[in-house]
Amino acid sequence: MSEKQIFTVTQLSQYLKSLFWQDSLLQNLWVRGEISNYKCHKPSGHIYFSLKDEQSVLRSVFFKGKNAMLRFIPTDGMKVIARGSISLYERSGYYQLYVEEMEPEGLGALYLAYAQLKEKLALEGLFDDRHKKPLPRLPRKVGLITSPSGAAVKDFLTTLQRRFPCVQVLIHAVAVQGREAPEQICNALKVLDARGGELDVIVITRGGGSLEELWCFNDEAVARVVHGMKTPVVSAVGHETDYTIVDFVADRRASTPTAAALLIVPEKSELLRYLAMQEQLSSRILSNYLQKKRSLFERLVSSVALKHPREKINMGNQRLDELSYRLKRAVEQILKSKKTCLHNHGERLRALDPLQVLTRGYALVFDREEHPVKSAYGVQEGQLLRITFYDGDAYCNVLKVHMKEG
Amino acid sequence: MQDEKLSFEEALERLERLIAGMEKGDLSLEESLRLFREGMELTSHCRKLLADAEYRVEIILQDGEKGEYKGD
Repeated sequence: MSEKQIFTVTQLSQYLKSLFWQDSLLQNLWVRGEISNYKCHKPSGHIYFSLKDEQSVLRSVFFKGKNAMLRFIPTDGMKVIARGSISLYERSGYYQLYVEEMEPEGLGALYLAYAQLKEKLALEGLFDDRHKKPLPRLPRKVGLITSPSGAAVKDFLTTLQRRFPCVQVLIHAVAVQGREAPEQICNALKVLDARGGELDVIVITRGGGSLEELWCFNDEAVARVVHGMKTPVVSAVGHETDYTIVDFVADRRASTPTAAALLIVPEKSELLRYLAMQEQLSSRILSNYLQKKRSLFERLVSSVALKHPREKINMGNQRLDELSYRLKRAVEQILKSKKTCLHNHGERLRALDPLQVLTRGYALVFDREEHPVKSAYGVQEGQLLRITFYDGDAYCNVLKVHMKEG
Repeated sequence: MQDEKLSFEEALERLERLIAGMEKGDLSLEESLRLFREGMELTSHCRKLLADAEYRVEIILQDGEKGEYKGD
């Protein structure tokens, strides 16, 4: 007994809290009871109350985020069923029910079924956003699944007509309440979907009613058919506050039949205005674009691109003229210098010409054999010699040979 | 003549070198005449290339004005 473990209050509270958490039943359960001490805390929006029966009391809290979906106003003495989890509120030292959802007890069984189906399908992912198909911008043909006698069909058609008169509507009449309704609705959905691309969107609608009356829209088979549709489906069941399973599975939910019509078609005049705006915008963009390209083009044309080859040719011609001139001058120069050279040689040659001397009074002497006679020595008396003058020859006989003395 | 295949720039360069050689003036008559003849041939080759180019530019410009130019 000396080894007693002593807890602080907080430690104990935390231990107890962990025990609640470990119990899976306490994490999600339905409780039936009568409301007492109902209090809606104004600034925070949280609801505090107790559930009680003849023997027991259970403190409960319904936080603002969760109670927004409450479809009725709870009052003291009202019998309800509530779903939630049990945990410990350490600050005050008591356990309480943290309510997730709550319904009046009279509808309990139906509501429970609804809630359970909703939870099951949600877990399967049937409500996931990735399954949601986008609605066409402007449907040509709309399939409408509804009761032909209800106010819903009238509301829907009137609004559609007002907004966009040329949209065609194919109505598939079904019972929207009662035992046959789910099967008829399933069948209608399948028939319309089988028309392939003919229908751009399918609207399934019904006016307001009690939970029992809307029940066919909480049918699992209907929900699964809606989920498997190729054509986008818009649901518009009941009033603003009525959420059915079909609403969750459909690609879009409209709060009422009128809202569904507003959702699927734009106002014609608005659309025309939008188109006119787009047209203006696109023509402005196009003309800006053309203007830009044109000025770029003109800049290019007037610049190098086209002038270039001409200029190059002109320059080529000029250069060629220069070269041609130089070539001719070079060859003339060469010829001239050769000629000068030749002339000089001629002059020199002429200076060496022996005949040239004859003009100055000299003469040449040749013997009969045409050998030049350069000396008196060897010349015989009576020998015939030819004397060549610059302008002619004289043939002579040697009269006498006289040798120079010494 | 082999010069037929020369581009304008090649022919021009050859012509320039040839003339520079002649202008130095230490060539034989035979050699000078041969070079002169070649120079004249290069000149006329270049002129022909230029005339061709001018003609083509002319055609391109005309087609361009008629809006028919489809590239070469």
